[in-house]
Amino acid sequence: MFRQLSERFGRPVAMAILTLLGMWLMVMVTLPQLQMIDYSFRPNLLPAQLGGPEDVWTLSNYVTLFNNEIHRAIFFKTLWSSVLVTLLTLVVSYPLAYYLAKVATPRQAALCILLLIIPFWINEILRTYSWFIILAFRGPLNEILLALGLIDRPIRFLSGDGGVMVGMVYAYILFMVFPLYNAIESLDDNQIRAARDLGAGNVRTHWRIVIPHAKPGIATGCIMTFMLAAGSYAVPALLGSPGSRWFTQIIYNWFFEGGNWNQGAAYAFLLLVLCIGFMSLVMKFFKVGLGDIAK
Amino acid sequence: MDSNVKLDEVVMRFGDFTAIERTSLEIASGEFFSFLGPSGCGKTTILNMISGFLRPSEGQVWIGGEPMAGVPVNRRPTAMIFQNLALFPLMTVFENIEFGLEVRGVDKRKRREVSERLLALVALEGSGSKLVTELSGGQKQRIAIARALAVEPRVLLLDEPLSALDLKLRQHMRAELKAIQRKTGITFIYITHDQGEALTMSDRVAVMSAGRIQQVADPMTLYRSPRTGFVASFVGENNRLEVKVIDREGERVRLDGGALGSLMGRAGDDVVLANGQAAALYIRPEHLRPLGDGDSGPRLETTIEAVHFEGAWLMLETRLEASGEKLRVQLGSELAKRAAQALEPGRQIDFGFDPEEAVVLPDDGSPMVDEATGEVLEVAPGGNAKVGGEHVPSA
Ligand SMILES: Nc1ncnc2c1ncn2[C@@H]1O[C@H](COP(=O)(O)OP(=O)(O)O)[C@@H](O)[C@H]1O
Ligand SMILES: [Mg+2]
Repeated sequence: MFRQLSERFGRPVAMAILTLLGMWLMVMVTLPQLQMIDYSFRPNLLPAQLGGPEDVWTLSNYVTLFNNEIHRAIFFKTLWSSVLVTLLTLVVSYPLAYYLAKVATPRQAALCILLLIIPFWINEILRTYSWFIILAFRGPLNEILLALGLIDRPIRFLSGDGGVMVGMVYAYILFMVFPLYNAIESLDDNQIRAARDLGAGNVRTHWRIVIPHAKPGIATGCIMTFMLAAGSYAVPALLGSPGSRWFTQIIYNWFFEGGNWNQGAAYAFLLLVLCIGFMSLVMKFFKVGLGDIAK
Repeated sequence: MDSNVKLDEVVMRFGDFTAIERTSLEIASGEFFSFLGPSGCGKTTILNMISGFLRPSEGQVWIGGEPMAGVPVNRRPTAMIFQNLALFPLMTVFENIEFGLEVRGVDKRKRREVSERLLALVALEGSGSKLVTELSGGQKQRIAIARALAVEPRVLLLDEPLSALDLKLRQHMRAELKAIQRKTGITFIYITHDQGEALTMSDRVAVMSAGRIQQVADPMTLYRSPRTGFVASFVGENNRLEVKVIDREGERVRLDGGALGSLMGRAGDDVVLANGQAAALYIRPEHLRPLGDGDSGPRLETTIEAVHFEGAWLMLETRLEASGEKLRVQLGSELAKRAAQALEPGRQIDFGFDPEEAVVLPDDGSPMVDEATGEVLEVAPGGNAKVGGEHVPSA
């Protein structure tokens, strides 16, 4: 990298760019993370006790999770629900991405993408809140279903995980659609035509030709959606019921209500490990490398 | 004729633009049939109507006696070889060839049998487990053929399949394709802008220009008796002289060449020529002979402008003294040797020709010819002039 940069801008400028980049990564990314990890291995002490005999490294913050049955359940529920959100988003996004990449005329595709993007000009909290209104017990969706005679009495969409799922699929759909779109777009149309010409129907053409080609895009989309879902705070906070708490909410509570940053840091670190674990699992499953995803 | 593919009054329009004018055509079972024309003339469009990727705006395609309206691509008894081959890059050679059978639910053992047999047919035994990305251009070509043949199509459609190969390989694959067609007896419909390919492989050729079929004939007839000025200029090379018809007697036509004096040519029985009508006389470069002082008959007096040594023959660029028009002359090595001392730029030389070999056609407007290369240009429907195919050396 240094060589390329110095060929282009000369040595001093290249040196300056790389130094700034390195400092940025150190100060803004690496140091805070290390600080958090350090916190997570220390007990929660009063300011006066810091540096005292009790300020030693310990695993006690991690043990807490294993001993607290409720937190453990929420941890695994968050994992499982995020997987579900990811799959749901994939199922919704794939046809859309295929339509945009291969079926729509350029004009239709541009219009569609615009319609997809416009809502994202609005803050995530507000967008999520609009779903709160739509899904409310006396909200418009229930009213419409009642008016159409499809249901006899309003449904409590917002109890349980349903509301959270809908809200998350909506909130993160673009992070799935765009990687899929990019991947499918790059497939030669003749590949699809050749499959059909050899007798393949729609399902088989997708299963054997389009999906294998789009695999890196699917992996990218799944990883991004899973990370966002697992780390989401606003959506479960607004659309969740008391019974559908997200692990992020517990982390939040440790930090800002329990005032136990060390405990919070340990939980946050575990969530990070979970996400990295999921990412490597997905990459292994789809047999793609980091390089394919960064494309 | 046992008809396999039939185009019945077919028209194809894209919006206001008519890509294929009303066309009717029958292609026999087991025939090697080519569509030849400059790029943009509508060849791929015709193929797409046969394979089912396009629905004709009017008329109907028949295959094996069945109307194809409403029959989707994956249910037609055709298989296509795409211009870029479109092999499946994530699959092995076996998986590629067996794809069509897998779709049809053929069991694994049977599939493998078929693909082994086809690999043998295309002389690629033992490369079944390779990835297609590991193959050379010519090998990919053969795998594409094997993959198409695996579904036992009634018709194999080939869209300029050799255009991506280099010259040597292209000529080799011509022979190979023809051999495979003979062995399998399957109807081949072959598309090309390269007249060399069309003439060497085909039983019959349809020459197309701007969405219209100009002539359908066997290669020899096409070459010897073109029916339109476009065919005369596009297939092989031709010198075109503007003349007037004096009168005709059977196939013999007496012509007034203006400054060139009186000339003679041949016209088919079905070519309508009125006395006094403006016409064009087409003489191929290889049919011109140097004349001695004593020789009689029509005499074209020229000045040599350039001499090109092409190995087996010489190509002379000359200019007619009487009219100032260009005349290209091809001399075989024997003739060239005899006339050697006279063949230099600036020298004057006279040429004669056998009226049997000179074709007279009604004047249907001069096709555009590139001054620099002598290639036939045609204004493509899109509006850009496109260069025609390479010229074949005559036999
Ligand atoms: N789907 C389409 N929409 C509009 N015009 C088309 C379409 N397909 C082909 N054409 C036009 O039809 C003409 C013939 O195209 P094509 O059959 O591909 O020519 P060729 O294969 O002889 O090069 C071209 O002018 C092309 O621009
Ligand atoms: Mg074409």
